Amino acid sequence: MNLLLQMWGGYARMTRRWPALAAVIPFIPVVALWTIVAEAGLFPRAFFPGPADVVRSFVTLTYKGILPDYLQDSLIRLFVGASVGMALGVPLGILIGTSRWAHRICWPVLLFFQAIGDIAWLPILLIWFGFGLTTMTFVIVYTVLFPVVLNTVLGVESVPRDLGRAALCLGASRARVLWEVTLPGALPNIITGLRNGLGYGWRALIAVEMIVGTSGIGFMMFDARRAGSTVEIVLGMIILGLLWYVVDAWILAPLERATGERWGLVTS
Amino acid sequence: MRGAASLAGSAMFVAPLLALLAIWAIVVPLFEVNPRVFPSIGAVGGAALDSIRDGTLIAHIGASLLRVGLGTLIGIATAVPLGVAMGVSPTVAAFLTPLFRFFSVLAGIAWIPIATLWFGYGFGAIVFVIFNAVFFVVTYNTLLGVQTIPHTLRNAAWSLGAGRWAMLTEVLLPGALPNIVTGIRTGLGFAWRGLIAAEMIATNVGLGYMLFVARDFYRTEVIVFGMIVIGVLWLLIDRLILVRIERATIERWGMVRRA
Amino acid sequence: MKTLSLRNLGKTYFDPYAGAHVTAVHDVSLDVQQGEFVSVVGPSGCGKTTILNMIAGFIPHSKGEILLDGTPVNGPGPERGVVFQSFALFPWKTVLDNVGFGPKMRGVPKAERDRIARDYLALAGLSHAANRYPNELSGGMQQRVGVVRALANEPAVLLMDEPFAAVDAQTRMTLQEELTRIWQDRKPTVLFITHDVGEAVFLANRVVVLSKGRILDEVAVDLPRPRVWDQLVDDDEFKRLSAQVLQMVRAA
Repeated sequence: MNLLLQMWGGYARMTRRWPALAAVIPFIPVVALWTIVAEAGLFPRAFFPGPADVVRSFVTLTYKGILPDYLQDSLIRLFVGASVGMALGVPLGILIGTSRWAHRICWPVLLFFQAIGDIAWLPILLIWFGFGLTTMTFVIVYTVLFPVVLNTVLGVESVPRDLGRAALCLGASRARVLWEVTLPGALPNIITGLRNGLGYGWRALIAVEMIVGTSGIGFMMFDARRAGSTVEIVLGMIILGLLWYVVDAWILAPLERATGERWGLVTS
Repeated sequence: MRGAASLAGSAMFVAPLLALLAIWAIVVPLFEVNPRVFPSIGAVGGAALDSIRDGTLIAHIGASLLRVGLGTLIGIATAVPLGVAMGVSPTVAAFLTPLFRFFSVLAGIAWIPIATLWFGYGFGAIVFVIFNAVFFVVTYNTLLGVQTIPHTLRNAAWSLGAGRWAMLTEVLLPGALPNIVTGIRTGLGFAWRGLIAAEMIATNVGLGYMLFVARDFYRTEVIVFGMIVIGVLWLLIDRLILVRIERATIERWGMVRRA
Repeated sequence: MKTLSLRNLGKTYFDPYAGAHVTAVHDVSLDVQQGEFVSVVGPSGCGKTTILNMIAGFIPHSKGEILLDGTPVNGPGPERGVVFQSFALFPWKTVLDNVGFGPKMRGVPKAERDRIARDYLALAGLSHAANRYPNELSGGMQQRVGVVRALANEPAVLLMDEPFAAVDAQTRMTLQEELTRIWQDRKPTVLFITHDVGEAVFLANRVVVLSKGRILDEVAVDLPRPRVWDQLVDDDEFKRLSAQVLQMVRAA
């Protein structure tokens, strides 16, 4: 018990000095357990590959250039979709947040279309646009759009009324108030919306790549399933998880914190 | 007076949707839209009646709801105790948080290939995907919820004579409830999408299958009807069940934490 | 020469909870001379903030006229600076950019408006905080920024809505002393709303007592300047005036 406590103390001190370690070390026992179960041969190898197999397949696929290509395809799709989604969602959210009439008209429609969900659009999109980039982009835009709009509205409504008044009585025009007060005031929420939207968009992309299936990580995983190659499926899952972890923890979350905390606008 | 106000409120809410229906009813015949591109209201109504009459609609909805219900129940039943147990010790919680964050990122759709490999196409694989979507998100949120309970509350309960069991039922569970409910809402959101995706890929009954098979025959009226059913079902689940629970607990207690 | 002039100002609005029309302000007439410091004091709910919001142009008035240098006012504008109880500093702008906001809206180039902002920050002893964000400052310092931000725009009249109500008692006294010093230095026209009788008397040339949306009476304050709390606390004239105003407010 004492030894355990000491080990824990060491771990706590270490992670305080290098916080990045706290995100890595917990995975060590998981990987160890995985290795043991795989090596023990409880399940057939083809069904339950070990870490070594996955690393080997990672090296092979990278060497062949398939993995980098697929990864690039997936990321570009996500990036294009997210950009278009933001470009549509932020103005729409500001309009709905500032105009009572726009709110009345758009809100029920938004809720309804949000409820339909991205993936349910896939069959009709395939009829309209075929198996291609347009279909995939549409689905991702659709997924990113709603969280961005809803959070932008929330953000606009959370800007204290006195801030807009202060700008007005310092000589700002209504348009200036929008640019100088409403938009920055809503920014932390907009980023939260983007974060949620990308979380959904990422999953939608995987689903679409599985179903539409021409390239991308999702396609790689589903193709591997068809060939019965579990290794590549597991590899795909790990890459997905890692990639999102990196994007979320190193880009989106700090961005959210940077705006929210520095400005003292609490967004929880 | 209040009834009238809420009636007026519902009317305000429904009006834009009715307007949308009206536009649909006018535009499709006016521009003679090809039914292979977009169906008329009449065709969608016909598809609705057909599917109700021959019982396929009930079969599809039943299959989908059963999968979601079962997967979600198993998910919550395992996730909440696990999350609370982990959250009780701050050290354990701190250690496990990154793990659960990683797996909640993967939750749902990414498991479809391996789930279908392990369980074969069909019921088992889909329930597993849904369980998965719910389990990690709810565990992570429960863990977060238990951690965010103010220490003064625990100390207060302690000094008032609460034992371990009372601490669990009187402080930890209710204190974590807002996060648990948020987790369930998020998890179900992922699960619902995962369900539709999984049903397109891995089964021969369910709403996702109904949509996807209609695509093969360019039956847009069936697709649009299916989309409406999916939307309405989710609205019902979200508004009638999830939002109600949230209102009854979080907002009433003044513990609103919005995403 | 009068700068701000209220003629039979009135405000009536529909209260959805009471289900009836409520009159918050009746027939208020008041003239504020250029360079004068007028305090309006009254209990909460007496309509003082409503009057200020009408003058600022945040809400429309239902009756009467608001004239600034003889012209009726309509909507918010830069000639009426406002200092808010909630400070209302832009959290995403540094202190310097907050103070330079008014000049920026007038189209003053960056270098020039930074110079103006630094000048006013020095006036309030805030030069060291120029590059900080509002969130990083104490409440007292935030409101100092709020005051100089309004002044830097050189408004014809400065409207202050219980500006020191949200800071602690010690800081409030310091801020009051600083405000009288700045007023002596720049001589802005000020309309100061407060529910604190001591504060009203301490700051103003004239105290207007408001009750139930009507002006009850007014008291001229001829205390010598500069005014400092250490001296005024024991000053007989200050005590007499404060007691007089307090009596009116309580009788109201």
